[in-house]
Parts: sequence; C-alpha cells; structure tokens
Amino acid sequence: MKKTLFLTWIVVSLICARVQAAEPQEANPELEKANQLLVQLDRNLNPVSYESYRKLINIEPDGKKKEFILYSVKKGMDRVASVFLSPASEKGRSTLRLDENMWLYIPNVGKPIRITSLQSVTGGVFNNSDILRLDYSAEYNVAQIQDLGQETLLHLKAKTKNVAYDTLKMWVNKTKTLPTKIECLTATSMLIKTMVFKETKDFGNGIVRPSVIETDSPLHKGYKSVMIHANIKKRAFSDEVFTLTFMPNLGSLRQ
Amino acid sequence: MKRWGLLWVLLTLLIGTAFTQENYSFELSEIEEKPLNLGGYVELYPVVRGLNEDSAAHKLKFYDRDSERLHDEYNFSALVNGSYTKGISEFRAIVNTNVTHDDLDWSEDTTLYEGVVSLRPSPRLTFKAGKTTLKWGKGYAWNPVAFLDRPKDPTDPELAREGFVVACADYIKSFDGPIKTFSFTPVLVPVYDHINEDLGTITGLNVAGRTYFLLYDTDIDFIFLTGESKTTRYGVDFSRNITSSFEVHGELAFIKNYEKKFIDETGTLFSRQYNATSTLLGLRYLSGSETTTIFEYLHNATGLTGGETGDYYSFIDQGYTTYLSSGNDTDLKRASHITGNQYTRKNPMQDYLYLRISQKEPFELLYFTPSITSIVNMNDKSFSLGPECLYTGVENLELRLRTTFLVGDSYTEYGEKQNDFWIGLRARYYY
Repeated sequence: MKKTLFLTWIVVSLICARVQAAEPQEANPELEKANQLLVQLDRNLNPVSYESYRKLINIEPDGKKKEFILYSVKKGMDRVASVFLSPASEKGRSTLRLDENMWLYIPNVGKPIRITSLQSVTGGVFNNSDILRLDYSAEYNVAQIQDLGQETLLHLKAKTKNVAYDTLKMWVNKTKTLPTKIECLTATSMLIKTMVFKETKDFGNGIVRPSVIETDSPLHKGYKSVMIHANIKKRAFSDEVFTLTFMPNLGSLRQ
Repeated sequence: MKRWGLLWVLLTLLIGTAFTQENYSFELSEIEEKPLNLGGYVELYPVVRGLNEDSAAHKLKFYDRDSERLHDEYNFSALVNGSYTKGISEFRAIVNTNVTHDDLDWSEDTTLYEGVVSLRPSPRLTFKAGKTTLKWGKGYAWNPVAFLDRPKDPTDPELAREGFVVACADYIKSFDGPIKTFSFTPVLVPVYDHINEDLGTITGLNVAGRTYFLLYDTDIDFIFLTGESKTTRYGVDFSRNITSSFEVHGELAFIKNYEKKFIDETGTLFSRQYNATSTLLGLRYLSGSETTTIFEYLHNATGLTGGETGDYYSFIDQGYTTYLSSGNDTDLKRASHITGNQYTRKNPMQDYLYLRISQKEPFELLYFTPSITSIVNMNDKSFSLGPECLYTGVENLELRLRTTFLVGDSYTEYGEKQNDFWIGLRARYYY
C-alpha cells in the first residue's frame, strides 16, 4: 500500500511539474512587447524560409586562418540544413537540425550521425547551435528589457534546458531593430562567448542586415571566429528537404 | 621638425588601423555552382609491423620464406570523386587506387567504389541506378543490419568502401506530429556473373528495402532483404539523443537459415544451418571538456565459437609441423582458402566490445585530437589497443599517427594475428 501511494505521489508530482513548466509566463505588457520586438528582429535578420551562403573563418592567436564555405537553407521555426562547399577536406559534409535534434552526414561514413549543439563541426569558437541557428524568438523569451538610449538591452532566457546557451544579453539598435552585440551566458551567468554584428549590408528584396558576425570567447583566449553572409534570398522549400534521407542531396538545391 | 612628428603620428595611426581593421572578403566566384566537380585525396601511409612469428597468420603467410621481425610496408592511395550534374540528373563516380610495397613485392588494386546515375524529380523522390553504397545501420564500428554493404573496418570505420550494383529509390514524406519524417527505400539487387558476385549465390534478382521514421525524436529503421542469393533477413535499428550530449543506438538483425561453414582440427569441412539473431547496442557521450566516448557491444550470431576457431588454429599448427618435417604444404594451402573469409575477416567471433575515447584539442592545441581505441573479443579475452593522434591544422592536409597493440594468448583471435603491433603515419591531402 505504502509503495503504491509513494509511486502515485511520484507520478502526480512529475505531472504537476510538467504542467507547471508548460504554463505560459505571467502576462506582462512590456515583456510581450519585447517578445514582439524579438520576432521583428528575427524577421529583419532573415526571412522565415531562405537560402544563404556563409564563410566561416577561424583565426588563431598567431593570425593563422582556416576557412569554410557553407550553403544553408532554413524553413519555419525549427528546420535548418547546411552543406560544406569548401575546403576540399570537408566538401559534401552536411548538417541538419530539426528542432533540438542535430545530425552530421559525412560522405564516406554514409549514414548521418547525431551530434550535439555544443560540439563544433568546424572547430573554432562557433559551435553547432551557432552554425545551425534557429530564430532567437523560437528558443528564447525576453526576461528583462533595459533602455540604453540608442540601443535596447534584452535579457533573453532559454525556453528549454536543451538550448545551447541558458541566457543571452542582446544589444539591439533601436532604429534598425537589429542586434549589435550578443553575450552568451550559462545558467550561472558565466560568459561563454561574445558575438559582434558588423557591416550592415543590403542583400536585396528588403533584407538589410549585418553581413559579418565576429565572435570570441574567454574559454578560447586569443582565438576569434568570423561568419560572413552572402546571397541571403527568400526561398520556399518542401519539408522533405529537412530529412536525414535528403542530407546527401542538399547540394542539389543550389541554383 | 614638428611636421615630421605629425607625419610619424599619422603613419603610425594608419599602420595601426591597417593592422587592427580586419577586412573579410567573400567573393561570388567562391560559391559559383559548376556542373562538373572533381575532388578526392591522395594518401601516403608507411607502416611498420612487428610480426608475431608464433602466430597462425604468420605461419600461413611466411612458412616458405624468411621474414624479419619488423616488416615495412608503404601504401599509396588515390581516391577520385567526380560528378556531373545536369537539371535533375547527376552522374557520380568514385574510383580508388591502392599501391602497396612491402618486403615481398609490389601490388596494385584499382576499384570502382561507386558509379551511379541519380534522378531527382523533387526533394521527395530520388531514383538511383548503378554501383553505390547504402550504408544502413546506426552502429559506429559494426552494422549487423547492413545487409547490402561490405563490412566496415572497425579500426577505421570512416574509410570509403566499395558499393554494390543496385537500382533504388528514396521516397520521403514529412509530417507534423509524433512522426516527423517517413521515408522508404526499395532496392533491387541483381546477382549474376561479374555483377555483385561476392554478395551471395549466383542467381537472379534480390529485393531489399528500408523504411525510416523519425518518431518522437528517435530515428528508427526497418530493413529487409530477400531473394535467391542470400537467405531472407530482417533488421531494425534506432538512434536517439537522451540528452543533448548523450546518444544511444542499437541494431537487431535476424537471418533466416544462415549457413555457417567451419572445419575441425583435421580440416574436415562442416556446415550448419540455423536462424541467427545478432544485436548491437551503443552509446556516444560528449563531456563538457569535449571528450567523446563511443562504446558498443556486438553479439554476432553468424560468428565462430571459441571451439571452431581453436580447431582452425590447431589445423594450421599441424599443417606447419607437417611442412617442417616433410616439406608438404597441402594443409597450409588448404587452410588459406578454406571457408572463404570466414576465419580471416575482421572480428570473426561472436561477442565484442568497442571503446573509443577522443579528446578534442587538449591543452588548447588547436586542430589536434588524440584518441584511443580498443576492441575486446569477449569470447577469448584477447584485445587490441590503439592510441592515435590526428592533426588537421594545415588546410586540406590530415596527418594521422596510428599504432595498435594486439594482445592475446595462443589460440585467441588477437594472439594469432600476423602482427603483435603496428605503427603507421597516414598523410592524406584533399583536393
């Protein structure tokens, strides 16, 4: 009897904990407005569905560089995929993210293997969650907002524990509604990395956004990584593009 | 004088700015899509092997010739991967050439790994015909459900492998809900003279298929192969991330009426038919300090028992004794060719453990990854232990220093291998 009661108590506690976790944040007009601002910022950075090319540059303390070029596609809130175009040693490797699931396809290995958000398929300061980034508003809620004059400082809190960074501090240009700097922190407020958004560029069709993101990390002193965007274009894709079976064929989407 | 001072300050500022202002370029020519693509690698791989002169494999290979304790081997490889794309069609070919020179002779082997035409009328549908690799299964070192793939080398599972000639299609469908993805891959596999001969008995057409689901964030495959060349077999595999850094995977393969051939200690050939169920369970864990651990357990029901391998080693020993006393090498030659590659294949027995631990960039040594791999034969308690270092700091160049120690008593798998250690440096340049 005691055992049954104890088990019932555990099950009820677990259900209550889940219900509590699923409850929406208490309505706060200022935070609701800030969350809408975050959605607007996402749309200014990229359309809901788009293709783009990116160059990643890892820079070592002695100035030595390693470059990667990727073709990336994204659809909706939770689907991103990329394929490496260079260097030759990485060509044909592709990555896929469906919500919190991530896979890496290596042509010789064949079958896609699961990877984690904190790993890095390119080495350097950018990890997989930076390379296969979803919309900020898909992964974070605004927990606090500060007016800094020309900029707004958003304190973002991850919606789930599976998000790579528990907290983001995001400086937002008020007039352009674009990020200028993001600090990525752990749950204990330890700084993991800083991303600086630079060189705002007109990509056409109303997409005006920073084309360069520089990042460094106190965990990798002296090292820096840079992500350069090119050819960001609104494009619709079928859902089937974002599947394990299609990963070897991602390059065929390039036009 | 004041003017020179101002000029110096101005120059200093300009030079300083030039060095602090990073200019990043990204030219459109770098992303231009070309119909014809060529790539691949060339590789130099010198290896020194420490021969185990008492082993069965050494007796079989060197019984009629002298051998040094240390055996040099030089391997040169070139892999060419080319593709031509036009509209929805693509032709891809992968050709591999290996040239090996050792104390005995030169050997050369050129193999078409893949040569396949693909048609992609939509992202949902792909048709393929030609020689290609399917690579089914979720295991890292072994794949019991990979019914249509050549076996992996568990000591180097990422090596490119030769495919089989097939005609297949991929149909993909995505959903909202618990099943996010469904895909079906039907495969036709012909086995005739000079086509897929090594797949099984030489007869007509075989049919295989794989159905894949992404269900509740878990990858699940159901696989089958049936026809006249091989007995009917079914497989299921899964892979799931329990946490963002902890993945589990497994495979289950059922082979109906599997025929195992083996010999006794006198060399008499036997065969036994039975239903074989093989299993694989594995995990991959990434720690906060970027240590990756891969662990797998394999039960291979098609493998040999300790008694069967013991009889084989005993037969070789007797054949070697006969050769030494009479010069008659009939039994040794027979042992070399008997039962196909049943005894000489990688991991021929039934129960194995695989462990690989790799540490990415320790002590802030960028692009440097040391690792250690061990394979334990649980049936005879012999094992291999292989530390290695990988350096990828130079663009398109991969340097891999590998060594492996093989440890086991006599009449055990690793105790009867040709070497008791080997060390090699693989330099691979991608183009």
